[in-house]
Amino acid sequence: MIKITDLEKFYRTEEVETIALNKLSIEVKKGEFVAIMGPSGCGKSTLLNILGMLDDPDGGSYMFNSVEVAHFNERKRADLRKHNIGFVFQSFNLIDELTVFENVELPLIYTGVPSSERVKRVEEVLDKMQIMHRRNHYPQQLSGGQQQRVAIARAVVNKPKLILADEPTGNLDSSNGNEVMELLTDLNEHGTTIIMVTHSEHDARYSHRIIRLLDGQTVMENIMI
Amino acid sequence: MIRNFLKVAIRNLWRNKNFSAINITGLAIGMAAAMLILLWVQNEISYDRFYEKTNRIHIVYSRDKNNGKIDVWNRTTALLAPALKKDYPEVEDAVRFRPVYFLMTFGEKHLNVQGSFADSSFLSVLNFPFLKGNAKTALNDNHNIVITNKLAIRLFGKTEAMGKTVRIDSADNFTVAGVLKDLPGNTELEFEYLLPWTYITKLGWDNNQTWSSSNAATYVLLKKGISREAFDEKIKNIVRHHKKDGDGSTREVFTQPLSMAHLYSKSENGKLIGGRVETVKLFIAIALVILAIACINFMNLSTARSEKRAKEVGIRKVVGARKNSLIMQFIGESTILALIAFIIAICLVQISLGGFSEVVGVPLFINFGNLYWWLFALAFILFTGLIAGSYPAFYISSSRPAEVLKGTFKNASALIKPRKLLVVLQFTFAIILIICTIIVERQLQFARSRDTGYNKGNLVYIFSQGDVIKNYRLIKHDLLSTGAAVAVTKTFSPITRVWGTATGLSWQGSTEADKKLNFLLFEADDDFAKTTGAKLLQGRDIDINSYPTDSTALLFNEAAVKAMHLQDPVGKTIKNANGVNCHIIGVLKDFIIESPYDEVKPMIIQGLSTGYPVVHFRLNPANSVGIDLAKAEKIFKQYNRQYPFEYVFADEAFARKFREEQQDSTLSALFAGLTVFISCLGLFGLATYMAENRKKEIGIRKVLGASTSSITTLLSLDFIKLVLLAIIIASPIAWWTMNTWLQGYTYRIQVEWWVFVMAGFVAVAIALLTVSFQSVKAALMNPVRSLRSE
Repeated sequence: MIKITDLEKFYRTEEVETIALNKLSIEVKKGEFVAIMGPSGCGKSTLLNILGMLDDPDGGSYMFNSVEVAHFNERKRADLRKHNIGFVFQSFNLIDELTVFENVELPLIYTGVPSSERVKRVEEVLDKMQIMHRRNHYPQQLSGGQQQRVAIARAVVNKPKLILADEPTGNLDSSNGNEVMELLTDLNEHGTTIIMVTHSEHDARYSHRIIRLLDGQTVMENIMI
Repeated sequence: MIRNFLKVAIRNLWRNKNFSAINITGLAIGMAAAMLILLWVQNEISYDRFYEKTNRIHIVYSRDKNNGKIDVWNRTTALLAPALKKDYPEVEDAVRFRPVYFLMTFGEKHLNVQGSFADSSFLSVLNFPFLKGNAKTALNDNHNIVITNKLAIRLFGKTEAMGKTVRIDSADNFTVAGVLKDLPGNTELEFEYLLPWTYITKLGWDNNQTWSSSNAATYVLLKKGISREAFDEKIKNIVRHHKKDGDGSTREVFTQPLSMAHLYSKSENGKLIGGRVETVKLFIAIALVILAIACINFMNLSTARSEKRAKEVGIRKVVGARKNSLIMQFIGESTILALIAFIIAICLVQISLGGFSEVVGVPLFINFGNLYWWLFALAFILFTGLIAGSYPAFYISSSRPAEVLKGTFKNASALIKPRKLLVVLQFTFAIILIICTIIVERQLQFARSRDTGYNKGNLVYIFSQGDVIKNYRLIKHDLLSTGAAVAVTKTFSPITRVWGTATGLSWQGSTEADKKLNFLLFEADDDFAKTTGAKLLQGRDIDINSYPTDSTALLFNEAAVKAMHLQDPVGKTIKNANGVNCHIIGVLKDFIIESPYDEVKPMIIQGLSTGYPVVHFRLNPANSVGIDLAKAEKIFKQYNRQYPFEYVFADEAFARKFREEQQDSTLSALFAGLTVFISCLGLFGLATYMAENRKKEIGIRKVLGASTSSITTLLSLDFIKLVLLAIIIASPIAWWTMNTWLQGYTYRIQVEWWVFVMAGFVAVAIALLTVSFQSVKAALMNPVRSLRSE
C-alpha cells in the first residue's frame, strides 16, 4: 500500500540545516498495523506528516497505492487525503466551536456526502465509539478519553484505508489509553491499515511490526508475534 | 457547507464576545461616519438637478475688472433676458428672477417674507412642482401670485389657498394662482412666493435699468444640442454691443450649467474654478480615510486572532478542505461582521443625523425607498467584507496544516510588521486631525477676539418698512425719551454688511491711479459714532439735521486716509465720481464691517441718501435687554402698526460671519475624535496580539527576575515608538495643510511649535492608556502557566 524510497526532508534556517529524514525507505502492506518509535527529534512526526500528505518531501519517492504522490500539488493531495486517510492526534485537534456530532460530520461535508447519509453515518460511528450520548456536547465539555474517541470517530467516518495516529494515547491515562488502543486494533482487524507513532513500548505491542528510527534512518525493525 | 460555516462564524462571534464587540463597534463607527459624510456629499452634488430640463438650464454670470482683478458674480441686467430671447436662436427661453422682501397681509396676519419677481415662464423653465395650479398660467396675470405650501399654511392655515387675495406691502392685492410644493433643501434659489415681473415695472423699480445694472438673476434654457461654449462665445460682448457709450465697458457675460452653480462659486481670473466642490472632495477623502482606518482595524483584529483560528484551519485541511473553501469561509465571516456593523451603523446614523445636519447646516436623511440606495448599501457591505476579510483569509488559509497543528504557526512575527505599519498610519491620520482641530479652533478664537472697532453688544438694528421712515423722527424721539435706547441712527446697510462701493474719487494732489481706488460705501444721518460705538479719531460725526451741508460730508476710516496718503484730512475737499465736491469732516478708527479675517478696507461714510435705510439703536444699559426691547416694540407697533417688530442683534449678525469656520472646527474635532477612537481600537487589538505572542518571552523574563513594572514598560514602549514615528510623519503634513488653509485668511495666527508638541502628548497619552491594560495584564501573568505549554 505504501512504499517510500530514499525519502529526504530537511529543515533549514538561515544558518543551520537539519536533516529530519535521511534517505529513508519503508514499505507498509495493506492491512498492516505498524508502530514507529524512536527518541525525540528522530523524524517520526515528520514521516507521519509526509505519509499523511500534510507536508511534502525534499527528495525520494512516495508511492501510495502504486501512485507516485511525492510531488502532488496541494489540491490533489487534499483530494487523495480526504478519501483515503484518517488522522488521530495526541492533542485530539477537535474544533472547539463545533459539537461532537459536527466535528465528526466535517470530513463527510468536504467529501460531498448528502446530508441524510451524513446523519446516518455519523450516528453509526458515534454509536460504535460509545459516545452517542455526548453527540451535542462541545469538545471542552468532554474528558480526554472521550475527546480522543470523537477524534477517532472523525478519522474513520469516511471509511479510510489508512489511519495515521500520532501518539494517540500521549495525553491519556492508562485505562483510557488502553481503550483507545483496543479501538485501533479493532479497526485494524476489520481491514484498516494503521501507522502509529508512539513513545510507549506498551502501545507498540498492539502492532504487528515496530520500526525504530534514529536521526532520520531506520535502525531496526521488530516483527511482533 | 455554508451552514457549517455560518455555525462556526456565529459561535466564534459569541465565544469571543469582547473581541467581536470591539471589532464590530470599530467597523460600525467607521461606516457610520463614512455614511454621514457621503450623505452630505450626495446632498451637495444633487443641488438644482431635479428639473425636467436640468441639462439645458444655465445661469448667466457677469464679469468685470475691478481694482486690477476680475470679479465674477451671478447677477445681470434685467435687459439681458429679453434680448437673449429675441436675438439668439439658440435660446429656447430666458427668464429673470429678482429676490425681494415684502410684507404679506391676509386679514390680521402680517408676515415679512422673502420672495421674488419672476418672468411668466419662469416656472416652465425651473419646474418646481405645483400642488395646485400650473406653470403655464400661474404667473400670466399681473395680479397673480404663486406661493409655497409653507407660506400657504402660515397665511391661511388649513383653508384653501387658491383664489385668496393677499396684500403686498400694504399697497397692492394679489390673487393666489398656484401653490408650490415646499422648495427642496438642495436648491440655490430661495423664495416663498413669486410675483409677476410686470409688478416691478408698476412699482417703477426698473425705470433706471441700464446695461450696467446688475440686479437680476438670468436663467437661460438652451435648445437641444446647443453647445454652451459656442453660445458663450457669441454672447460674451452683449453688454458692450448694447451700451450706447460702450467703448469703455469691460463687462462680459457667460453661462454656467445651473447644476454646477452650487459647487463652483469661487472665481479666479474671471473663471469659476472652485468653491464648494473643494470641500466636497475633501470630505470624500475624509470619508474614505475613516472607512479605510476602520477596515484596517478590522483586518488587524482579525489577524490578531489568526493563531487561534489557525488550528481550526489546520484541522479542516487535514479532513479535506481546499484552500478556496477556506478563503470563502473567512471572507464570508467578515462579510457577516460587516453586515452586522452596517446595521448598527444605520442605527448610529439615524441617531446622529439630526445633530450632524445641524452642524453642516443642511437637513440630511437616508432615502430608504430608493433602490439605488439598497444597491449601494449591498456593494458597501460586500466591499468592506472583502477588504476587511481578505488579509486574514489569504494569509491563514495558505498556511501549512502540519505546521499549524504542531503549534508552530511561525509566520506570526511576519504578521506584526505590516500591522505595526497600519498602526503608524492610523495614528498619523489621527495626529494630523488633532493638530488641524487645534489650529482651526485657535484661528477661530483669534478672529473672534479681534477688536471689531465698535461696540456690538446691546446694538440692535431693524430694516425699515412701511411707515418707519415717515415716522422716523417720532420713533427716535420716543425711543430716547422712554429710555429704551440711548442713541439712534439711520444707515444705508447694517453695521455688519456693506452694500455699496465707490470709485472715481479725486482730491488735491491725487493721481489718475487714485481714481481707481475702491472704497466701501456706507451712509448715515447722524449719531453714527455715538450709536455704534465707533471711535472718532479726528473731527466730528455726520449730523445732517444740525448741519444742512452734511449731505455732502464724508467720514473716512483710517485705512482710507492711509490709502489716499492724506495728511491732516479733516476739512479737505473730495470730488466724487459724479463731480460733486464733498468735504471730510472726520476720521473714524478702523472697524470691521466685512470679514473678520481680512484687513479693514478703505471706507467712506456719507450723508444718508437711501429711501430704505436700516435703523440702528443702542439699548439702554440701565435696563435689562427684555425691558428695552418691550418698550421699543411698543413704539414701533404704535408708528408702524401693520408690520411685525423684527430686530437683529449686531453681535449675533457678527457671529454669523464665523459660521463656516465654526463648522470646520466642529467637523474637524468630530473627525479627529472618531479617528482617534477607531485607531485606539486598532492599537488595543495589536496590544492584545503582541501580549499573546510574547507570552513565553514574558514568562522567561519573569522567571529570570523581571518585575511587573519593567515588563509593562517594555511592552508599552514598543507602541510608544510607533506613535512617536506617527508624530514625526504627521507633523510636516499637518503643518503644510494648515499653513495652506491659513493663507486664505489675511488676519491669521502663526502655526506654533507647541501645537505639535501638544498633539504629540495627547496621542502618546491616549496610546499609553490604551495599551497599558494589555501590558499590565500580560506582565501580571503567572509564568508557570505561559511556560507550561512548552
